[in-house]
Amino acid sequence: MRVFRASAALEMAQLRSSRGFVALTALAAVSFLVMVCLFGLTGAYAPVALIDRDGSPHSRRFAEALLGAHHSFALKSISLAEAEAALGTGRLVGIITIPAGFGDSVSRGVTVPIDVRIDNVNVDLTNDVQRALPAAIVAFGRREQYPGVRVRMAEHDVLPHDTGYIPYLVVSALALDAMVIAGILGAMATAREWERRTVKLLRLSPAPSSAVLAGKLAVAGGVAAAALAVTVLMIVVGYGVVPVAPWTTAFALAACVAIFTCLGAWLGALLKRTLAAVPLLFGLAMPLYVDSGALEPTRFDGQAIWIIAHASPIYYAVGVLEWAFHGLRVTPESVFVDLAILAGIAVLSMGLTLGSLARGGAR
Amino acid sequence: MIRAIWGMARNDLAVWFRSPAAIAAALLPALGMGVLVAVLTNSVGQQPVALVVQAEGPLAARMAKIIKGDGDAYLLSEMTAPEAEAAIGDQRVAAIIVIPANFDEGVRAQNASVDLYLNNIDIDLADDIRRSVTRSVAEFDAPQLGLLGELHGPSDGALLPNAYRIAVAEHDTRDTNVSFLQYQVIPIIVLIVISIGLLGTSLLTVRDFERGTAKLLVLSPVGRLPLVVGRLLGGTLITALLVTPLVALGFVTHRLPWCGEGVELSPLASMLVSGPCGWNLPVPTWSHGLALVALLVTVTLMTVGLGTLLGVALRDARLVTMAGLNASAYLFFLGGGFTTVAFLPHWIQVASRFVPTSYAIEGLRQALFYPVLTNIGHDLLVLSGCAVLSMALAAMMLTRAWRRT
Repeated sequence: MRVFRASAALEMAQLRSSRGFVALTALAAVSFLVMVCLFGLTGAYAPVALIDRDGSPHSRRFAEALLGAHHSFALKSISLAEAEAALGTGRLVGIITIPAGFGDSVSRGVTVPIDVRIDNVNVDLTNDVQRALPAAIVAFGRREQYPGVRVRMAEHDVLPHDTGYIPYLVVSALALDAMVIAGILGAMATAREWERRTVKLLRLSPAPSSAVLAGKLAVAGGVAAAALAVTVLMIVVGYGVVPVAPWTTAFALAACVAIFTCLGAWLGALLKRTLAAVPLLFGLAMPLYVDSGALEPTRFDGQAIWIIAHASPIYYAVGVLEWAFHGLRVTPESVFVDLAILAGIAVLSMGLTLGSLARGGAR
Repeated sequence: MIRAIWGMARNDLAVWFRSPAAIAAALLPALGMGVLVAVLTNSVGQQPVALVVQAEGPLAARMAKIIKGDGDAYLLSEMTAPEAEAAIGDQRVAAIIVIPANFDEGVRAQNASVDLYLNNIDIDLADDIRRSVTRSVAEFDAPQLGLLGELHGPSDGALLPNAYRIAVAEHDTRDTNVSFLQYQVIPIIVLIVISIGLLGTSLLTVRDFERGTAKLLVLSPVGRLPLVVGRLLGGTLITALLVTPLVALGFVTHRLPWCGEGVELSPLASMLVSGPCGWNLPVPTWSHGLALVALLVTVTLMTVGLGTLLGVALRDARLVTMAGLNASAYLFFLGGGFTTVAFLPHWIQVASRFVPTSYAIEGLRQALFYPVLTNIGHDLLVLSGCAVLSMALAAMMLTRAWRRT
């Protein structure tokens, strides 16, 4: 216990002397959160100009139907010239023009073509607009109760309510944050021993290296947990996303911090340089994040991606956190299996780190 | 003087290429983003959906044919009801579309329904499926509301009356669509330039302070100006040497045998090659090509200047790495990387105008994907201004820092 305490005190002193680095690591966590939200904002509400040349109650109701078409359009009422300029420079996805006489024609039962100009520069955006227009037209037809519609879609949702895209993304971003903060601090704790050539001293010391390592990682994990707590506070206060199971959330986050600190420590011991470990963690973070059910359950992305995702600890972390925050099951495996695998990864990486420290000293 | 400048630049090149950690620091995050885009490409657009056809009539068969025909929207698997229930339970499908047993009778009575059982786990996924199924169902009563109808119906002068009384005359502004991956390659290129320019130069600058070689440089008889210019030239050359082959690769990947259209690969192999094959840029005309080169050069100069400033300010390799990675991430995302700035709230759009990379990404997309070089002069002017400012500041600060060493 004395060794543990001494090692923890030393690590704390080291971190105090690297306050700038720790602050920038915490900033990176907040940055990831902000960036994930920016990405989430582009998933809906395509900016589209609406040129209403009719101005009738019917055209206004059609505009309302466009606004209600599954969060598809952000309608801009601007002049045609402005719209054309914006379309040409990629600031608009399309221009929808309701022709003059639209209201009269639909009242008489005449089908009216709506002119839609789409900047089909990006196939994803184009598809969204192409699919959303019929949804708006169907909603308009149903509201006006036009005869002749023979088939309707009856939706039955599996869950009582939809989870917003940003609330979904920010929770999975917590797993990413845990990996980045805890991973970097863990890596720094071990890599420093090689950078300052103290690994030999560690090996020669009569103190058990497991106690030394545990002391170092406890402090690194504690600092990472404090930084993550700030991020959680941002999510709860800033985004209004409150966990449905607060204690489970706290436990899951603590588990994630512990696991990623151990993983980071192993990476630091493997690469022996903070400068190499930090960009590697950054580089790995985003692809691992996306291939871990961060945007939607990974299994929906196909069997191959789903199988690969099992190699990423973030997959299990996202599974646990989405369950704790929103009550959602995003992995076919149960939450307890996810937690057990995370614990296994932590134990394995701790063992590997100890092994690296022992070998490092021997050389 | 030129010899001294070249000597300094060559020395920086040699140092940098002997530092695998520095190369990794500059390249890994950007390449990670590239992998992310490749993975994202597999996630957007199509969703796995089960189709359960319980009816046997001709109208039900027609409905099923419409749904099966929309291959752009669904990854469809036809299943029995118990199979579909099991599949949605273990997340092999995101939704089940059921054409019920009484569908034909329902159509004749004008009250048929197609049931959608949806795993509405998040709104983005759920809305994608809702839009697609609504379109398929609408197509039954209004065939022109399908994709082909939107593209080649009223817009080609063929208007069929429908029960909803509205049809879509779609006019696309360009001949070809650019894939999601191809569209996102542009910000990745900018991110690579930022990462290498910023981190590469800042780490070189820091190295001189950490190792005390700055003192030797100051004592050298060639004077400070050639050394400062040499440092900036070195950073520029490092960036150019790494970015040029990557950009050039983008113009030739479509010639690779496994990247061609119609090549059949296993799902795993397709996923593995989707990244390299997606690194695919359209070959520009000479005027667009010139704009492309000018934009890349100005961004490079700007980031090299910023990198030098960062190195002078922090003088610690670990701090510089973290600060550089943070700065690169903000410059990337606020500049329109993975996002379309027009989709963002107004205040972020305003903030984005103060982020130089937004001009670079906008300009590069204009140069590669748009027929007319709208606003390219403005983009180049802003970027050149930023480049001159950052270079001048970097030269001034570096001279001052070396003088005080």
